[in-house]
Amino acid sequence: MANKISRRDFFGCSAALGGAALLSSSPILTSCSGGSSKMVPLKKKGEYYIPVLADKADPGRELKVGLIGCGGRGSGALHNVLNAADGIIVHALGDVYEDRLNDVRAMLQRDRGIEVPSENCFIGFDAYKKVIDSGVDMVIVTTPPLFRPYHFQYAVEKGIHCFLEKPIEVDAKGYRMNIATARQAQAKGLAVICGTQRHHQRTYVEAYDLIQQGMIGEITGGNVYWNQDQLWYRERQQGWSDVEWNIRDWVNWTWLSGDHIVEQHVHNIDVFMWMAGGITPIKATGFGSRFRRVTGDQYDNFSIDFEFENGVRLHSMCRQINGCDNKVGEIVHGTKGVWSSFDHAIKDWNGNVLWAYNHAENEAKFAQHDPYTLEHVDWVNHIRKGEPLDEATLCAQSSLAGIMGRESAYTGKEITWEAMSASELDLMPANIESGVLDLASYKVPVPGDK
Amino acid sequence: MKKIYIVLIAFALGVALTLALDTVYVRSSQDNSCMSCHVHPDAEASWKQSVHHNGSTGTTTGCAECHLPPEGSSARFFAKMKLGGRDLFSYIFKNKENINWEAKRELQYAGKIVFNESCEKCHENLLPKGVSDDAITAHLYYEENAEKLNLQCISCHLDAGHVIPGYSHSKMNLAPQKKEGKIHEAPATIASFADFEETIPGTAESIVMKAIPGGTFLMGSNENEPLRRDDEGPVRKVTVSSFFMAETEITWDQFWAFYGETMSEGRTPPSKIYANNSRPDVDAVSGPTPPYGAPDQGWGAGSRPAITMQHYAAETFCQWLSLKTGHKYRLPTEAEWEYAVRGGTDTPYWFEGSPKKYSDEGFWRKFSSADTTIIASCAIYSANSGNRTGEPASVAANPFGLKNMLGNVMEYCSDWYAADAYSQMADGAVDPKGPATGTEYVVRGGYYASDAKELRCAARAHTETARWLTTDPQNPKSIWWYSDIKGIGFRVVCEVPEGIY
Repeated sequence: MANKISRRDFFGCSAALGGAALLSSSPILTSCSGGSSKMVPLKKKGEYYIPVLADKADPGRELKVGLIGCGGRGSGALHNVLNAADGIIVHALGDVYEDRLNDVRAMLQRDRGIEVPSENCFIGFDAYKKVIDSGVDMVIVTTPPLFRPYHFQYAVEKGIHCFLEKPIEVDAKGYRMNIATARQAQAKGLAVICGTQRHHQRTYVEAYDLIQQGMIGEITGGNVYWNQDQLWYRERQQGWSDVEWNIRDWVNWTWLSGDHIVEQHVHNIDVFMWMAGGITPIKATGFGSRFRRVTGDQYDNFSIDFEFENGVRLHSMCRQINGCDNKVGEIVHGTKGVWSSFDHAIKDWNGNVLWAYNHAENEAKFAQHDPYTLEHVDWVNHIRKGEPLDEATLCAQSSLAGIMGRESAYTGKEITWEAMSASELDLMPANIESGVLDLASYKVPVPGDK
Repeated sequence: MKKIYIVLIAFALGVALTLALDTVYVRSSQDNSCMSCHVHPDAEASWKQSVHHNGSTGTTTGCAECHLPPEGSSARFFAKMKLGGRDLFSYIFKNKENINWEAKRELQYAGKIVFNESCEKCHENLLPKGVSDDAITAHLYYEENAEKLNLQCISCHLDAGHVIPGYSHSKMNLAPQKKEGKIHEAPATIASFADFEETIPGTAESIVMKAIPGGTFLMGSNENEPLRRDDEGPVRKVTVSSFFMAETEITWDQFWAFYGETMSEGRTPPSKIYANNSRPDVDAVSGPTPPYGAPDQGWGAGSRPAITMQHYAAETFCQWLSLKTGHKYRLPTEAEWEYAVRGGTDTPYWFEGSPKKYSDEGFWRKFSSADTTIIASCAIYSANSGNRTGEPASVAANPFGLKNMLGNVMEYCSDWYAADAYSQMADGAVDPKGPATGTEYVVRGGYYASDAKELRCAARAHTETARWLTTDPQNPKSIWWYSDIKGIGFRVVCEVPEGIY
């Protein structure tokens, strides 16, 4: 503000005051007060978000939560939010299929003694609207990712706080919807968190803070991995429509999950983009293929080279095949050192440990270490204090980065951020409610020409 | 004591003067103060109908809120001094009757008196509730490139402050209404080498084609020609064969007839379009995708020249016209174009006059305006256009019977542009086709906003793809329409069928 001179100031002889204000914020004066550390921060304190990782949310007004998408992650998230805070009422449930909803309803009754009344249980493709309109304060959205942008949009329109499981889109149209909706959510003061729970994992958050303070210097690159065994799949059963089969087998279909580089590996790509200060890739060049996946049209392995501004590079790999070596984690390289999630430590390039997460000390200090619970603590605290929170923008960006990698592997082409973010790619089928899909058109992609 | 009184009085006077100036500063930015001098009646009326006065929210945005940088910035103070000074000068010294207010609404001028930072002061969220997918794409593009590419809000939202009849920035929905009239059943018959009127089967459109007898001429300008540029030389003796050339630039009626038959909904990847259209046996060309906004700029379509289409769209038009008529249509080569415009003359213009005399450049021109009687009767350009395209019938034809070769809109040639194209070309060349490869195409002739020096027969220009697509937020950008150039169009030539002479 000090360098702006308003009309009245200009004529009101307050230039002297303005000058004083300029001096007082001068970097020459303020820079003398610091400590002796040689670290050059990537961002100043206060310019990046460090969550308060309390064991439990502060008590406050009662909050009604709705669940959209009654799968494993949905019921898990319900437990998380109930563990994170007192005064949470499970108000409504929604799913496309009744049996899935009944499973969660029974689970709540069995494990928690919670009864969700029948009139608040909604079935069908419009169940999400009914949950949002049922009088909830907050929703947990854990449907297959294809639907996320639509559910997020409707919830924000209705002023409802959101927990969005990652990834939050599978295509470019979803990315644009999410970026716009995130902006609108901030305007409404809503708290939006995403299922990228490493942002609330004590080990990661402490490292993130140190990296922003400059402990590894400027970011030069990284490596991220999610190599694991084959995921679950479901064969088609009699009486299932095309859509029902695909939805029940959704982690194997690109149009629903985004493929595993987006659906699962987005975690690790997201960690790099987050640690590096919120940067987005300029382009992606990658490979991928399918050896052993049983159903669906997805690959089961990817290897992607991401390029960022100033030559920063990220190599990403992911695999879902049994009997291989598994590896899940992230490494971030800087000019002065390297951070790794495999040992939760920062070392300089001579191998000296500059920092290591002190497990013993933190175990003694905190009772809650589950990041899935901690993210709900932060969410509830924000809602109760009326403070907005936006994790959707970064999650939309990291989801799009995953989509770039996928499209590069599928096509054999270099995919730019510019082209991907403006692309017309929209995986929502025309008539999903009819249950009919042109299944023959869902083929495993083959890059290049014959 | 006396000294103290003097100091006190001086101080009081100072305070009074400061307060008075402050009052002037504030008051002079109020709407009624603006309108007391800005007496053109349309500015107020069109503002009152705009979304900034007559919007759904009922709030009113005043003159100075858009036409000055935001309050509280020093930029506002300096902009106010500069613009206010200019307004005052015009008010006192200029004849208001002669000011073309309509022309000042064009982006070219409006961009200088509307400030992005003022737009953004109110429009903090560019992705508000209800924003369309196209708008999200465009606004994300804006956010990422506004500074780098100097994008302006009014590049798309030109009618935000003052309504402009016929203006739009959204995607065109339907092909414009076809011209009524007799639908031609057959193409023209070319029986001899003489002027003819091509009739486009299945449409009510026809194109008057002038027979241009082949010959030899001096291409380029020699070093004595005033206001010439180096790429116009060295002068080469060039021979061109006979051909037919359209009397006027291709009109909107003619272009929309093509668009209506070939438009492709959705976005087909350019590679697929090129592949389809380059098949030797293609019987249906893939034409343009729907443009954003009204490509006629709200100036009116009809027989005004079609504008803003890219070179590839013009080539595809020729391909379509050839398929429809069975005659071989294409864009002119640069040599054909210059041969045709000269019409046997070897002077800077095909009519009388010197570029120096007509040009508005130069210090002395500020004090005495040029006598433009002759040039203004032969071309639509900066002095007579009102900053927009005009009806071709309004100007005289050149010796070959061609109209507006030198003005109205710039015209595509088939040649790649090279600054040294004439040195590359042999003296005495026959039907030269320009450099074998290149990145930008030759465009010839001035346009409605050109100075007289750009209207010289030898003056050369070229496409500027990146700059002419600055605002297009799509990726890949359009291969059919330009977003940032208006004065570009084309005219077709027809090859003389075998056996006709």
